[in-house]
Amino acid sequence: MSRLVKKSPSLCVDLPLDNTDVCNKLRLLRQLMTSCYGPTGKLKLVHNNIGGHVVTTSTSSVLLAAISSSQPLVNLIKTSVLNHVSRFSDCGLFAACLCLDLIEQAKQSGLRGNVCIGLNRHFLAVCVSYLQREDCCCKVKLDFCSSHNLIALARSVISSKPACLLTEQETLHISKLAVQAFLLTLPCDKPGTVSLGQTVTICVEGHSVLNSAVFPGLLVDVTGVLCVNKSDNLSSHRMLLFSASLAGDIPELGEGIIEVSSGVDTDARILDQLLDLGKQAVEDDVKLFVCQKVIHPVLQHYLRSRGVIVIERLGITLMEPLILLTGAHPVATLHTSLQPKAYGKVRDLSIRQFGSKTLLHLLPHGESAICTMILCHRNETMLSELKLVCQKTEHVLRLTLREPYALFGGGCTETHLAAYVRHKCTDGVTESAAVLGCSESEYLLGMDRFCSSLESVAKSLEHNGGNSLIDLTHAHNWTVHADVMNRCVEG
Amino acid sequence: MKHVNISPPSTVQTPAVMLRSTVINPRQPVGLQELAALAAVAHSSLGPDKRYKFIQDDTSGESALVCSCFRIFENLELSSAVAQLVHETVQAQQKVYNTGSGCLLFLAGAWSRAALECVHRGISVSRIISGMSDGFDICVDVLRKCSISTDGLGAVKPYSCTTTSHGLGLQVSKEPITEDSRASLHLRGTTSVGHKTLNPSGHRKIKLSRHFCQPDSKNVSTAPQPHQVFNVAHIAEGLSHGCVRAMNLVVEAVKLHQDVSCSTFDVTKVVTCVVPGLPEERACVLPGCIVLLSDEQASVAHHLKDQPLKVALINGDLSHTFRHLGFSRPAGVQHVSEQLALGSDEEEVWTVKVVALLLNLEVNLILVSGLASEKVIQHCCRRRVLVVDKVKASILKAFADATAGVPVTYATQLTKHCVGTGVKVEIRRDLGGGSERKSSTAVNISTGGNSGLFTVILTSCVRGKLQALEDQFWACAYRLHHALKDRAVLPGAGATEMLCVHHLRQRAVTAYSTQESSAGGAADLDRGVVLHLMADGLIDYISTVMVNTGRVSKVRARTVVSQQLQEHDGHVDIAAKLSQLMLEGENEDSDSKSSEMDVYDNVSVKQEAWRKALDLLFLVLQTDAEVITGVDQATGAQENLMML
Repeated sequence: MSRLVKKSPSLCVDLPLDNTDVCNKLRLLRQLMTSCYGPTGKLKLVHNNIGGHVVTTSTSSVLLAAISSSQPLVNLIKTSVLNHVSRFSDCGLFAACLCLDLIEQAKQSGLRGNVCIGLNRHFLAVCVSYLQREDCCCKVKLDFCSSHNLIALARSVISSKPACLLTEQETLHISKLAVQAFLLTLPCDKPGTVSLGQTVTICVEGHSVLNSAVFPGLLVDVTGVLCVNKSDNLSSHRMLLFSASLAGDIPELGEGIIEVSSGVDTDARILDQLLDLGKQAVEDDVKLFVCQKVIHPVLQHYLRSRGVIVIERLGITLMEPLILLTGAHPVATLHTSLQPKAYGKVRDLSIRQFGSKTLLHLLPHGESAICTMILCHRNETMLSELKLVCQKTEHVLRLTLREPYALFGGGCTETHLAAYVRHKCTDGVTESAAVLGCSESEYLLGMDRFCSSLESVAKSLEHNGGNSLIDLTHAHNWTVHADVMNRCVEG
Repeated sequence: MKHVNISPPSTVQTPAVMLRSTVINPRQPVGLQELAALAAVAHSSLGPDKRYKFIQDDTSGESALVCSCFRIFENLELSSAVAQLVHETVQAQQKVYNTGSGCLLFLAGAWSRAALECVHRGISVSRIISGMSDGFDICVDVLRKCSISTDGLGAVKPYSCTTTSHGLGLQVSKEPITEDSRASLHLRGTTSVGHKTLNPSGHRKIKLSRHFCQPDSKNVSTAPQPHQVFNVAHIAEGLSHGCVRAMNLVVEAVKLHQDVSCSTFDVTKVVTCVVPGLPEERACVLPGCIVLLSDEQASVAHHLKDQPLKVALINGDLSHTFRHLGFSRPAGVQHVSEQLALGSDEEEVWTVKVVALLLNLEVNLILVSGLASEKVIQHCCRRRVLVVDKVKASILKAFADATAGVPVTYATQLTKHCVGTGVKVEIRRDLGGGSERKSSTAVNISTGGNSGLFTVILTSCVRGKLQALEDQFWACAYRLHHALKDRAVLPGAGATEMLCVHHLRQRAVTAYSTQESSAGGAADLDRGVVLHLMADGLIDYISTVMVNTGRVSKVRARTVVSQQLQEHDGHVDIAAKLSQLMLEGENEDSDSKSSEMDVYDNVSVKQEAWRKALDLLFLVLQTDAEVITGVDQATGAQENLMML
């Protein structure tokens, strides 16, 4: 391929942090991140330049995903924070704020780059080893015997996003639901490797948050295609799941060409094949016929006329939970006859109405750790933020299974750590400095910068110009009410 | 760019700073100012006396005549994020309620001015939010308490409207009846069989309730059977909000509807048919589904009239190329043939096949929700089969229910039991438009009077006004629909707002006093300020509605409102007296008959509009920056944005 534009010569720039433009951009990014941080954080309106849909958020994953920069340094920070969020769901803003603050402090301190790196690594190691100690003062062991701790943890995650616009009562309700959903996804006494179930979230716009609910089993949106006969009360229903499209078109041709001799109606041929499948399903007493993609209307019509419940366009996200729930093997082709082992089972079917949505409630035949969370909120913007927050809470709660500790929130952990580092590292400055290969004054300066970074993250929880008070004896941060628990996963 | 000819005040400030894909506002509530400025667009569309606006596109020279706040936003090109947010909120309100978007927008503006004032006084954002949430709870409580049961209304007013005195109508907002209505609601809840229709026996049950008889039993006992219809007419009159003609059409529609079932008003079975070129007085309601047909089709209809027809219902397009949603046409298919094709047209073949099938099934009428191809229509016309396309989905469903037909996606799918029976076609010569290039004939398709379908014919000589007339009709229809669904209405004409103002102020005073007694401190003082300013927003609303009547100036309106508030401070029946004030203000020089009219508002619509206004405000209040994606360097620098 020939180039349309002549390739311009490469440009090498050294010391990007000495560039004022880069520094301004980093400062701007820091302002953007710190202003979002915490329960009273400010929101950002994200939209494109031609007046598209507006997203109101203070969530790092949404915000950072929308940002693109001409500066590789900004993009580097952005992607590493996004990676952190995709792994832990939580503390994206914290990571971004601390990272950007450390960079700024390091630059201001005037320390040489490698010294700075060594010092920060050292102090981080001090913090991490302290957090892992049994007698660490800023963490609490989670007690799984009572739901109190779990709800408090869920609540601190949920209340950290003001764009959800929840009242106290609503926050508590959602926290309880999040914990309930989490508990429903834990499988009961199964030998061998335990694998957690799944929570499926369904959003219903235009209703009070207090109408939100959690149900065991799976709820599928069947709005507009309602057709359930309550007449037959079989204890279990046979179901069939297709992952292949039953739209009646010719699937995935690729690059090739099919030659069809005239007079042959391909559409009719495929439809005949679909109807054969339908006939077999009806003969095998299938009560629920589900397809991930589109089902040809003629096939739907045929199945419905024979009393089968038909659900089409299930979507890829619901496939796995449905497979786990029913034990069905999804059929990926329509060119073979149906195998008996492909069928799944559902114990019970019922219809639930949520606002304008009609949902079909499927209960598992055996043991299953699938549950469905219905989230209601008054408008779309707040609902999408609420959904994000609930998914994040679920993830955070799951992480407690691996490591059953929570850290104090409200900036207390950060100020406490800063105090600990200051206290711990003032002893034996000479030796530590020698080990790290720097002077004592450099060591002390580095320590001060590291600690003030931690403190400034804690301070940025206050957005309304209020004062942050730090209790120097107990290293307690007083801006936010005490005992807000939060879990920070420090990477 | 499009603009409204009455431009919003020039307080809109564009955000000053930005990054490559990010803008940061300085920490000033620019968003609130913008919201307030946008809301100013809604001022003239408040209240019973609405003003039309022209929206003109400078580049194309096209213009639109709009009368509702929803249509204004639909016709504007919105580029700012706050405007987009406002538009989305208004759309959400419109989608569910079809009314109340003007009220929503006005209050979003008025309360954002209140929030601005709070910010200037140094009240923190979280306190503003909690204070306003409290204020909203107070208002919801007021709405709940002063709502009037629709059943109670029928009882209060005997059906001879003219004999009603002033005072009687106003009793409705007094405390005891509110309780009664709740009692009766409760009663209906327990007798699950009787509550479906409000038949006379149902009423007797309520009447025998010991609560219900006390204040106005004499009226209840005289309530005759047809009072349900009147009852609706009375409520409808109160809900007309100045669109009397549109509301009369709605009432006519309800009267037709009542023969079928009565407790609710099913808007899904209403069709509007717009006929340009006839004077507005010719607007009417007719049972059945009326469509405008071309001459060719009309001649088919002429053959089919007055005989029972068989109907096929098609959910989709009626053409050989149509495939259901989700069907993908393969790209790499080639048709090869061994002998020379004799030019057999695929469409022709398909059409012949379909028409043969239709004739075989003895179908005379096809209703299509999508489009029908010209060729099929022609073929069908020749065989005297009438094809009507672009039928609303809900109407198709109504026909399916009434005729026992089954809607199918493809015509080839049709079988004997998919075909419905018992449809009649009637030609309405009186409604033929034919004023312009294409002449058209109105044809009424009905199912023998049991489908509950009816058509509202809207007419106007001014073509540009038709859209507004249609909007007004639907707004009225939905207002009545929601009133019957809620089974309650609110005293209108500002009375509810006045009562809210009264309660908000009372609560503000309590907040001040607890602050003085040092129990609460600064938080209570702030709360008092927030509540007080919120009440001012509502006063602004009432006075704007009064100003829009064109009879009082803004200053006078405000003085009258505050005078009345002071005079009636502490009285229980404040709402009753105040509603009178509005009417006096409105009808100083008009005849006495109209001053007797009670005005009502919808409960759920009002509450939801207020809540949406506050939600919108809270989002904007908490926002400090805009992130714009996809901005290129050049424009970014031009508009003084900060690039990341």
